[in-house]
Amino acid sequence: MERGAVPASPPKRMPTGIGGLDDIIDGGLPRGGVTVVLGGAGAGKTIFGLQVLASGARHGEPGILVAFEERAASIVANASGLEWGPEMVRGKGVFVLDAQLSQSVEKSGEFDLVGLLAMVAAKAEQVNAKRVVFDGIDVLLGYLGDPSLVRREVFRLRDWVHDSGLSGIITAKADATDARAASDYDFLQFMADCVVTMHHRVASGTALRFLRVPKYRGAAHSTNEYPIAITSAGVEVGANTTIALEHPASGERISSGVERLDAMLSGGYHRGSSVLITGVPGTAKTSLAAIFAEAACLRGERTIYVSFDEAPDQIIRNVSSIGIQFAPLIATGTLSVHSYRGRAESPEAQVARIRALLRENQPRNLVVDPLSALAQRGREGDGEGAALQVLDLAKNAGITLVATSLLGNLLPLAEETRMNISTAADTWIHVSYVSHGGERNRALTIIKARGTGHSNQVRELVLTNEGVALADVYAAGGEVLMGTLRWEKENEARRMRSAAENSAALRERKAEVAIAETKARVEALMRDQSIQEAELEHIRAAVAVDTGHLDTEADELLQRRRADPLVTATSPDSEDEGGVKP
Amino acid sequence: MTPEEPKSPVAKVHVCLYIAGASPNSVAALANLRIALAPFSDQFVAVQIIDVLVDPQRGLRDGILITPMLVRTEPLPERRILGNLSDRVTLLSALGLAESPS
Repeated sequence: MERGAVPASPPKRMPTGIGGLDDIIDGGLPRGGVTVVLGGAGAGKTIFGLQVLASGARHGEPGILVAFEERAASIVANASGLEWGPEMVRGKGVFVLDAQLSQSVEKSGEFDLVGLLAMVAAKAEQVNAKRVVFDGIDVLLGYLGDPSLVRREVFRLRDWVHDSGLSGIITAKADATDARAASDYDFLQFMADCVVTMHHRVASGTALRFLRVPKYRGAAHSTNEYPIAITSAGVEVGANTTIALEHPASGERISSGVERLDAMLSGGYHRGSSVLITGVPGTAKTSLAAIFAEAACLRGERTIYVSFDEAPDQIIRNVSSIGIQFAPLIATGTLSVHSYRGRAESPEAQVARIRALLRENQPRNLVVDPLSALAQRGREGDGEGAALQVLDLAKNAGITLVATSLLGNLLPLAEETRMNISTAADTWIHVSYVSHGGERNRALTIIKARGTGHSNQVRELVLTNEGVALADVYAAGGEVLMGTLRWEKENEARRMRSAAENSAALRERKAEVAIAETKARVEALMRDQSIQEAELEHIRAAVAVDTGHLDTEADELLQRRRADPLVTATSPDSEDEGGVKP
Repeated sequence: MTPEEPKSPVAKVHVCLYIAGASPNSVAALANLRIALAPFSDQFVAVQIIDVLVDPQRGLRDGILITPMLVRTEPLPERRILGNLSDRVTLLSALGLAESPS
């Protein structure tokens, strides 16, 4: 990974080509100055030097390595095992001079570096070198013996570098944790323009490597201790405490692969964000991660799945049991599955592997399952740093990261994680087991989701052979019901609902019947009414006939009696009464 | 080997002294070598002086980067003596010229 290939203007810098280093030392090592690299045996000093030379060679700055400790041939052989090694050897941009003093060399009196520097100068002129590394100067100084001679020659070396116009790196074996050895080389640090210390310590059986820049004349630099990894890419510095957080925020949402989870997250994960899924073993963390990977691949986005637990075959088989088919996605090249054994390497080396994967594949999405594997070994804090680096790596590259994290078995149900990455992650989903009624069911909660309105409700995570789904949970009497209890509750609710529906129908029917009866009664009454009305008509008609008949009879009677015409009708009441009365 | 072995070496010794111009240690090495080898005739010892300031490529080619350095090229195996050769005993012993010829 090349960074800052163009040197900064006023304070001249020599980019190192060491991933992450230039960021913490203001662009590179002092150009035209002397950098002393101190470290114990196997701290990576030689690789540091070679890497700076190889990077220089790639940018038109040939370099020379003067080897005091190892034979030139063995340095070249070792370098060929590094990614840039063969090119470095072939490219004629790096020249290794063998200045090793074998055991058979006997010493008789004093010596100095005059001849050496003359020859290096000649070589530098010949190959137009811009960089020079004196590797393992401690071996040579050991032959000098006398501390005053050591100082004289070291100053001679420094002055020569300053005069030559080359940028020099001097490596020396001096364990920074060994106070006495470190003090022996105090003057090395004193005379240098820049000092880099490298050391490693072993914690829980894993070597952890660190780098520090305690001195850099005239440069703003961080003097913190940084974890480093030495891999086939060389030395990589993990700047886990990023000085400036400059991650472009994305408003784009991408699916989590679970429809209802997307709904809970107001549309899904943010593109380029980091999602942490925590939970005890068996809580379907992997399933959630896998379904995200599948959804991403089905959108045509290149996705990398890194597992620290299982081999690719196992993962493919396991996820197929919940209906996630990785094989065709791998076949088309959108998905690649990588497995690394969590315990085999230091966290830094694992981060370096992920970094290499991202560099080579340029994916849009990354799944790390589980990220907590990085913390399995070593000091607490180292793993955390490594995990944070993975977060940073993905963020800086705009890659959406879904990482799972196993929680410690000591606190199986606690919503906490050893790693503070839960703070750094943008979205934190926790899956826990809820034991109730003789069952253990999975409860999914979104603990946080930056920049997202999200549901604070607990959902039951249900795994079927068709995939992952979320179900509502019932809260009853302060308890969350899941699994069979949820099912029972759902059934009960259905029954109650149908009973209610039935009784409503019954009442409706009853009402209808009542109305019908009322109507019938109304009709009957109306019929009665019409009968009665008809009867009334009839009565009236009959009355009229009777009256008429009486009048006729009266007339006849009068006629028969030859009585006066009906005067009585108009006569006074007496006559009338007398006339009417029989 | 017998105790009657001659005190002078049978084979001629070839040495090569790599120096860096007139630097104090180089000047001293040259002087010390001359004094140490004075008792030996040219018949037994051949000396070559290489100044890496004059011919740096020679030092690079021979893989001699630290000076002053005396190399016994013959007889084999090659022996190397680093320094200004102020320690004459070490020098002669390394060259296989431990005892002065009579």
